[in-house]
Amino acid sequence: MTVDPAGARARHGRGQPGETPAGGELARAGFASTARAAALLTEVLDRLPAATDASALVADLATVADPDAALLTLVRLLDPRSSGASGEATAAATVPVVAAGGEPRRRLLTLLGGSVALGEHLLRHPEHLADVAAGAPPDPDAVVEAVRGLHGREGAETLRVAYRGQLARIATADLTDADPLAIMPQVGSWLADLAGAALEGALLLARAETEGEQTCALAVVGMGKTGGRELNYLSDVDVIFLAAPREGADESEAMAVATRLASAVMRICSQPTAEGALWQVDAALRPEGRHGPLVRTLRAHREYYERWAQTWEFQALLKARHVAGDAAVTQEWLEIVQPMVWSASAREDFVVDVQAMRRRVEQHVKPAEVDRQLKLGPGGLRDIEFSVQLLQLVHGRADESLRSRTTLEALAALTAGGYVGRDDLKVLDEAYRLLRCLEHRVQLHRLRRTHLMPTSTPELRRLGRSLGERGEADRAVLQRWRAVQRDVRRLHERLFYRPLLTAVARLSTDEARLTPEAARERLAALGFRDPAGAMRHLGALTEGVSRRATIQRHLLPVMLAWFADGADPDAGLLAFRQISDALGSTHWYLGMLRDEGSAAQRLARVLSSSRYAVDLLLRAPESVSLLGDPAGLVPPERDALLSRMAAAASRQTTVEDAFQAVRAVRARELVRTVLGDLVGDWDGEQVRGALTDVTDACLTSALDIARSAVLERRGEEAATAMLVVGMGRLGGRELGYASDADVMYVHDPLPGADPERAAAQAAEIVAELRKGLSGNGPDPTLELDADLRPEGRSGPLVRSLDSYRTYYARWSAGWESQALLRARPVAGDDGLAERFLETIRPLRWPAGGIPDQTVREIRRLKARMESERLPRGADPRTHLKLGLGGLSDVEWVLQLLQLQHADAHPGLRTTSTTQGLAAAVAAGLLAADDAEVLGSAWRLASQIRDAGVVWRGRPVDSVPSGLRDAEGLSRIMGRPPGRGAALADDWRRAGRHARSVVERLLYGDAPPRPGARAEPAQRGPGRSRPGRAAGFRGVDPAGPPRSADRFPRTPPQGRT
Amino acid sequence: MNRQQEYVLRTIEERDIRFVRLWFTDILGTLKSVAVAPAELEQAFTEGIGIDGSVIEGFTRVYEADMVVQPDADSFQVLPWRERSARMFCDIRMPDGTPAPTDSRHILRRALDAASEEGFTFYTHPEIEFYLFKEPYDRTVGPQPVDQAGYFDHVARGDGHDFRRAAIDTLEQMGISVEFSHHEGGPGQQEIDLRYADALSMADNIMTFRTVVREVALQENAFASFMPKPLAAHPGSAMHTHMSLFEGDSNAFYEPGAPYELSQTGRRFMAGVLAHSREICAVTNQWVNSYKRMWGGGEAPAYVCWGHNNRSALARVPMYSIGKGHSRRIEVRSIDSACNPYLTYAVLLASGLRGIREGYELPPEAEDDVWALTDAERRALGIDPLPQSLGEAVAVMEESDLVAEVLGEQVFDFYLRNKWQEWGEYRSQVTQFELDRYLLHL
Repeated sequence: MTVDPAGARARHGRGQPGETPAGGELARAGFASTARAAALLTEVLDRLPAATDASALVADLATVADPDAALLTLVRLLDPRSSGASGEATAAATVPVVAAGGEPRRRLLTLLGGSVALGEHLLRHPEHLADVAAGAPPDPDAVVEAVRGLHGREGAETLRVAYRGQLARIATADLTDADPLAIMPQVGSWLADLAGAALEGALLLARAETEGEQTCALAVVGMGKTGGRELNYLSDVDVIFLAAPREGADESEAMAVATRLASAVMRICSQPTAEGALWQVDAALRPEGRHGPLVRTLRAHREYYERWAQTWEFQALLKARHVAGDAAVTQEWLEIVQPMVWSASAREDFVVDVQAMRRRVEQHVKPAEVDRQLKLGPGGLRDIEFSVQLLQLVHGRADESLRSRTTLEALAALTAGGYVGRDDLKVLDEAYRLLRCLEHRVQLHRLRRTHLMPTSTPELRRLGRSLGERGEADRAVLQRWRAVQRDVRRLHERLFYRPLLTAVARLSTDEARLTPEAARERLAALGFRDPAGAMRHLGALTEGVSRRATIQRHLLPVMLAWFADGADPDAGLLAFRQISDALGSTHWYLGMLRDEGSAAQRLARVLSSSRYAVDLLLRAPESVSLLGDPAGLVPPERDALLSRMAAAASRQTTVEDAFQAVRAVRARELVRTVLGDLVGDWDGEQVRGALTDVTDACLTSALDIARSAVLERRGEEAATAMLVVGMGRLGGRELGYASDADVMYVHDPLPGADPERAAAQAAEIVAELRKGLSGNGPDPTLELDADLRPEGRSGPLVRSLDSYRTYYARWSAGWESQALLRARPVAGDDGLAERFLETIRPLRWPAGGIPDQTVREIRRLKARMESERLPRGADPRTHLKLGLGGLSDVEWVLQLLQLQHADAHPGLRTTSTTQGLAAAVAAGLLAADDAEVLGSAWRLASQIRDAGVVWRGRPVDSVPSGLRDAEGLSRIMGRPPGRGAALADDWRRAGRHARSVVERLLYGDAPPRPGARAEPAQRGPGRSRPGRAAGFRGVDPAGPPRSADRFPRTPPQGRT
Repeated sequence: MNRQQEYVLRTIEERDIRFVRLWFTDILGTLKSVAVAPAELEQAFTEGIGIDGSVIEGFTRVYEADMVVQPDADSFQVLPWRERSARMFCDIRMPDGTPAPTDSRHILRRALDAASEEGFTFYTHPEIEFYLFKEPYDRTVGPQPVDQAGYFDHVARGDGHDFRRAAIDTLEQMGISVEFSHHEGGPGQQEIDLRYADALSMADNIMTFRTVVREVALQENAFASFMPKPLAAHPGSAMHTHMSLFEGDSNAFYEPGAPYELSQTGRRFMAGVLAHSREICAVTNQWVNSYKRMWGGGEAPAYVCWGHNNRSALARVPMYSIGKGHSRRIEVRSIDSACNPYLTYAVLLASGLRGIREGYELPPEAEDDVWALTDAERRALGIDPLPQSLGEAVAVMEESDLVAEVLGEQVFDFYLRNKWQEWGEYRSQVTQFELDRYLLHL
């Protein structure tokens, strides 16, 4: 039938049912541009019989997602001049449907308004229009039948057309359903079946073009969403190809044919033709991924999965389902692989793998898309799917009811079994459906592969209307999406952790609960090594009806998630219980955890990564409040510390209490420092600076207390000025958590005072000071080590300044000058400090440097120490302080330079190692890259030692050999999870590099300064450092290697 | 227990195997073997067998002596020359189940993993040379070759001929395919080429090969030696290895139309091998004696260069037939027959990969016999010599971050110390050369 233009004109005059509705009606119907809509509508009516009711047509258009698009496509369908298969045939097929109205017309218009791409398809293939109008149910097998007997290009095109025809049926059923969320799973399974049929069709075509095809059986296994029968409109179709030789066929030949067949299937589906392409067939989930052969025998599959497969591959197999080809082959394969899927959670590395997989799921989102992603990122579709699969793997081993391939079914089964709470199911189920619906409708519009929410208002409006929103559909859909995002963001809490509490809760509900057995399995899978212990702690924390128990029941699911992310989840949970017990129902504690945002998360991180911090916190639980205090994790000024300590001491009546008060302030500062280190982003230098400041302040306050106590006790006026000098790392302002405070005590009798009495006072003050700081008490002690004083342990503990002068003038040994390089007055009389520094100046910064003889002695002493000082059994390659390239090596290099050049270069007059290295570079005494090598080894060693204390609560000498300990240290050092095993090697490398610099600079393979004074240790004339790895370049083949005298070298003690 | 392990237990039952030898390799490439009775095997599969690692070269520090060997059921083979015995290769683990850093197989596997992350599989194909000497060996007379033939000679009723047939039969029975075999240049010197395989299987095969060859030789009343240079007057024993990288099913070294059909990847791989050849030399040529082969003339590739048909070059692009993309490969000729194949392939692969990753330029091809050039000419052409001695090789390796990375810091350190020690002991010898030349004259 053709439309009669004369009739159309005639209708115009009548102003009857066919009359164009007014602009207001069109606007109400949802058209964006009413003028344009009116024009198009006129054109439509022109081509329809005169009796057509225009208002009813507009009303139908008003129900579709995008009325403008639907109307435009409709015009094109009705216009016999349209491009496409045959304009006339198209118009002929369209007119009766549109003219008749009712359900068929509504279906057609709904499809046109929901998918521009499928509208285009109808333009080219009007033969599918009747199906759409009739609401014909999807019939995937029709796709296979359509291509039977065809081959080549014709076959491929027929396949595409038939596929799209069925796709239009599915889309029609989907879009016209009143409840899109309810029909979503049905749509997913239709789409998966259709993809399966297309693969079957492609396989038929592939066989038609492949020689020798009869020699092998080929099966296509659907993976991912295809396997789970939850496919979306457009994504890659994941498959694995399986093959088996048919009887009598040679295996290798059959496999070669099978490979050709499989490649043909992939090509037939994905190759663009005049009819476009279907989708990419992705076979990357096969054994060995993209690098493995495309097709393998079942035997090869078995070997692979038994030997090589990784945990994630078993997780992928969870979804495997036969979709095309020889079903018997798939069946045999499933029997091989499925038992392995369900025992995957018993694999040794399961927990570690799962943690790594979870991290991967949460990463990989482009920052620009993070706000628009439906699929990736925390709480996205993939996260939900992954989390459900993980629970299936963990609990499905024992409970067969959980072995579904489909996400929503699995979720329902998990709920029925009590593995997930019923309320949480409801939230997650709805969230998943909505996210999938959004994804479907976004893809459907132009049949594009996308997982992003649109941003423009018209697009959002179309999306909202397709989900039944009216009015401000764009804003409504965004609101729904945001609400779901909020729900899903706490996905892991809902899925993994909250059910654990039901397992221990005494509160009775009818709801199915996680059995204790299943709870233990899950805790183990989440990384708890002692699930039974964890269950007990959970029980204790949530028992009862107190406010505390109620709040903790609420808090624990999310706290558990944070513990599980830490290096030692068990310790974290235990410490949390202990601290909760200690702080009881202290009002601020629970309030802080509940209300102050990240405080609970920080606490969880601290508790699960640091025994040192836990010990300190258990001694003084109220220090936890630092985490809730915005200013809590800022290092205090030195002066503020001093006045705080002085004030605390002054409030006490007895000397003991005054010391205790100072120590309590110090303990709190230690907590602050370790918290700042762990969760406050302090770097190593800040930590060392803070530890030094608190020690300085502590010594200052303690010296004051001791002085007044002694004077009072003796009933005397002060007869002498006192000074505490910091040495070693204290002097260098580089204290670590476990460093002793190296000190020397100096006194100087006041003018006119009796020297005897002054000495007696000084000795008593020092004794009082030491007793006060290191005696018993609830707070950690500060160990004072005075072994660096003149005459060492056999010398008097405190000397007068004059005595120091005499001693240094007569007896001082070389190493003492070296130790004095790091001397820094930390507490006591300022004037005395100046006089002391003046006294030691010529020793540590000798005018004109030091004579060659002394340089030689220092070098020899160092060489001897290397073989003597290392503890028995310690490995010099790993010892952080005394080993090769360790702290001591680096410090000696610098100290030698300082003794030689500090007189000439004032920059070198520093007690700090890092500043000293920088000054040596600035003075041209040290190459910048050498300084970098030395500095990074020094920093790494310091960092590892500090992390060791923080992790274990006691110092480490080398990277611990146990993997768990190494991982704990590594995380504290801020390295990403899983790098612990590499830490020991990283140190060995840094140490090795540093050592080669040390050997060159300290033992004189080459002079540290070019062209300066004669260098006694320099061997051989004018030898410069050979280039890296170029050692022997250009050596005369006949001659001996130049460095022959270097090897073999006697290994230092401890090498075996 | 997986099916392959069950299969092994069943086979042992059916064939009445009495002893199962568990094989593993120490850091220096010596094969070690623990025999277990079949009854203990099940436990060996599940838990492994504890060994005292401190007695094995390079395995542990004394205070970390406990280690576990775990047999790899896929490597199960009945030993053809021993009644009712079988063998399996083992992985070495720490008591906590992590791979031991000192396990040679683990070191190679780690290098292969790094390659597979970039999409490559590494295939090798070695040509293994060795000497057959008459049994018994008399120190006063020196080693006596079983024949006096030369390169490719067919020796009628020659012991070597029978020997090769017997050896190849045994190898094939053990599932190791032999490509090619012939008499080599020296008297009693043989060459057997193995069919290409992935590098880990090949390294296992080479270890098996050495054992098989020794066993078969004994049956023929001879003994086999893989010593790099047993006879000063005759060529040494090399293990030239052909190497290629595959990306999935396609040879990454193949590019039709490129010079020698060698792709850019192939050229960069070879450039990497050349650039790092000096620092990996202490691995590819790990003995004092290795440098006697290297610097003893003949065809030993002592200079860092490459060529097409140049048999004096360190790396070679061998003959090829146009369009046979699968077989495009490069041949590395410095390796000798007494190397640890696991470590050797690991360092070569890592060198090549670094060449690819950092886009090394391949230097121009050397077309002359580099031995015939003068020092000055070689210097002008930019051709460096390989180290002169083990001592020099170890000193160069000591500076190498590449080798440290491949071996792991712990093995790197052990290896250096062990080699310094060997060099030190060698240097303290007073040799026949010195006695002959100096004793009466000085």
